[in-house]
Amino acid sequence: MHAKFSPEELAFQEDVRGFMRDNFTPELAARIHHPKTFRDASIEWQKLLDGKGWAANGWPVEHGGTGWSATQKYIYTTELAAAGAPDVVPMGIKMVAPVLYSYGSEEQKARFLPITKSSDIWWCQGYSEPGAGSDLAALQTRAVRDGDDYIIDGTKIWTTFAQYADWIFCLVRTDNTGKPQQGISFLLIDMKTPGITVSPIISVDDEHHLNEVNFENVRVPVANRIGEENEGWTYAKALLTYERTALSGVGYCKRKLTNIRQLANQISASGTRLIDDCDFRARLADVEMEVMALEFLELRVLSAIDSGGAPGMESSLLKLKGTEMQQAVQSLQWDVAAGFGGISPAADDELWESEGNRARREYMFGRACTIFGGSNEVQRNIIAKFALGLQAR
Amino acid sequence: MDFSLTEEQVMLKDSVAKFLADNYAPEQREAIVKNEAGYSPEHWATFSELGWLTIPFSEADGGFGGNVADVSAVMEEFGKVLVVEPYWSSIVLAGQLIARSTNNDLKSREMPTVISGEAQYSFAWLEAQSSFSLSHVSTKATKQGDSYHLSGEKKLVLNAKASHFIVAARSSGDVNSQSGISLFVVDVTNPALKIETVRLMDGQHACNIQFSNLVVGHADMLTQEGEAYPLIAEVVDEALVALCAEAVGAMTYLYKATADYANTRKQFGVTIGSFQALQHRMVDMFMATEQCRSLLVRAQCAILDGSEERSQDVAVLKAMVGKYGRKIAEEAVQLHGGMGVTNEMPIGHYLKRLMMIDMYFGGSDIHRRRFSDMRYL
Repeated sequence: MHAKFSPEELAFQEDVRGFMRDNFTPELAARIHHPKTFRDASIEWQKLLDGKGWAANGWPVEHGGTGWSATQKYIYTTELAAAGAPDVVPMGIKMVAPVLYSYGSEEQKARFLPITKSSDIWWCQGYSEPGAGSDLAALQTRAVRDGDDYIIDGTKIWTTFAQYADWIFCLVRTDNTGKPQQGISFLLIDMKTPGITVSPIISVDDEHHLNEVNFENVRVPVANRIGEENEGWTYAKALLTYERTALSGVGYCKRKLTNIRQLANQISASGTRLIDDCDFRARLADVEMEVMALEFLELRVLSAIDSGGAPGMESSLLKLKGTEMQQAVQSLQWDVAAGFGGISPAADDELWESEGNRARREYMFGRACTIFGGSNEVQRNIIAKFALGLQAR
Repeated sequence: MDFSLTEEQVMLKDSVAKFLADNYAPEQREAIVKNEAGYSPEHWATFSELGWLTIPFSEADGGFGGNVADVSAVMEEFGKVLVVEPYWSSIVLAGQLIARSTNNDLKSREMPTVISGEAQYSFAWLEAQSSFSLSHVSTKATKQGDSYHLSGEKKLVLNAKASHFIVAARSSGDVNSQSGISLFVVDVTNPALKIETVRLMDGQHACNIQFSNLVVGHADMLTQEGEAYPLIAEVVDEALVALCAEAVGAMTYLYKATADYANTRKQFGVTIGSFQALQHRMVDMFMATEQCRSLLVRAQCAILDGSEERSQDVAVLKAMVGKYGRKIAEEAVQLHGGMGVTNEMPIGHYLKRLMMIDMYFGGSDIHRRRFSDMRYL
């Protein structure tokens, strides 16, 4: 029982720190946090990471992964967050890639994995539909076979960054006869295919992350299907597990808490510090204590995965507690910055980079984190079933 | 980084669990608690035979050479069935004060009977006005020649059947000062002691003690005069981790027992465990237990790694275990419905124990403040 790093791990930590210092410059940070430059800066950042061999760190080594231990992954994530650097945009590297290397054909792997790793393709996820949110298996986007193609008709919604995407990975219905989970297939679709329209959805942070993607007579080669027809649900479920493991956000929470402590330590015009206010102090301590626990919950899960376990129910646990903590931290950040928090500047406004604007944006968009990736209520259902053996009605 | 139990720890845990499965069913425990001592002297003798009393002591002292993780492995099993034998108070807390005493003569005099279980020590530290602060000691130790005269009173001293008290008393400094505190071994038969036994709601027999001009010698002092505070702080930190391991065992029992009950109890023609409103509450019980278990791992690592943040990590563990232990037990009672409020059902006994664990050495708020004071300068 110990949490110490070995000399090799300490050397690795130094390597990561040095890389962050040299590559994640304040100039790049500013561009990556700004909506107008976000896309290009994200691609640039992923290319820098890829140059170091770290972009696809979770992949199997034969596809360009790193073969890192759980401890190394933890060190990497922690240092990334400490530097204020975002992880790679997850849809490619973390979401579709595991499905590709687990279930894709050799041609599909060769075609998509290298460009996904190098960020020469931007992916978006076509899962949710207007009538299929938490009940994902109710999806109705139709794929009808026509020779060597499928013809796709339907609507996907809440599609993050579809406005930047080159390709979309989609769940579509290829059979209506059995249970809803049967008859779903997993397709890769070029966003430039005729018949696809992307319409923006402005979220409560006043920004454009989300979209509705409409398919009207969209022709997709059968060769773009992953695995077997009607087996897409199996592949999608595996993907959701990977997605959730990526969602605990401990590093983000720790960085935010450091920032909140610094702000609360500043002496106000009246000569007092927020950190000395006993009510605020107690609230901050409550959140910090939960995050300290979450950090070790994640480490326990990681080291269990290291010794051969696959992420399963535990990933629901991390998603659930992690997103609750992200929101708790965002609430505190908002309260600390409340004096400036109400301002909603335009993206080219000077105030864009202010603490108040950051607090507003993160709080507002943060409302989504307990909803996406399977709502927290659905996670509780999963844990009730698999950890506690409770049967649904 | 390695959070797995060693092979030895797994074997130890299994053997403890096996003994308890045979000897600590709820009705057996009920009989044990009714003993005059508040525990079973036979079980205590068995703990000794099985070598459990030797676990935290060094091999040089005749012990097993175990650490906080070994002790926690045992305590977690104890927590699952609410063991009442004075293992924690005597072996983990008071026993470690003796084992880490800088008075070598005292140590070699007392250690053999501590480890064998013949003697049971109890740490007498809490005072009516001390608000659970370890450094708040108003009990006086006045030096007279080669001896000390102790005067004062101590509250809620665990194990009313202890053979010796370790009394914290002050020979110098103001009432909250960390310097000036000494620890003295006092035989319970000392005529200057007035002992009042009290039964605590978790079944423990504790006592309040009073004394004036109680004479002890230099030879009964655990450290140099006035220098006991660092010893107390170190031993209490580790003992609190072990106590929290017991609590995590109790919490684990509670979420599992509640899910089992919900899977069998039928209302409206279905098992109540099929109701989503109840499922989500049980998930939150499970989640809180896992959070506390994570902090238990964190605090164990901090102690074993010699981390500078060990006291912070222990404070956080105690604060969260206090808060969530009570919360989980309250939820367990609620989800057991009418049965949950009966003494016949084990659930209420876990509530009582977790309430007391929260209180020992200060409740959740006190430890959150302790954490805040270390963290926010």
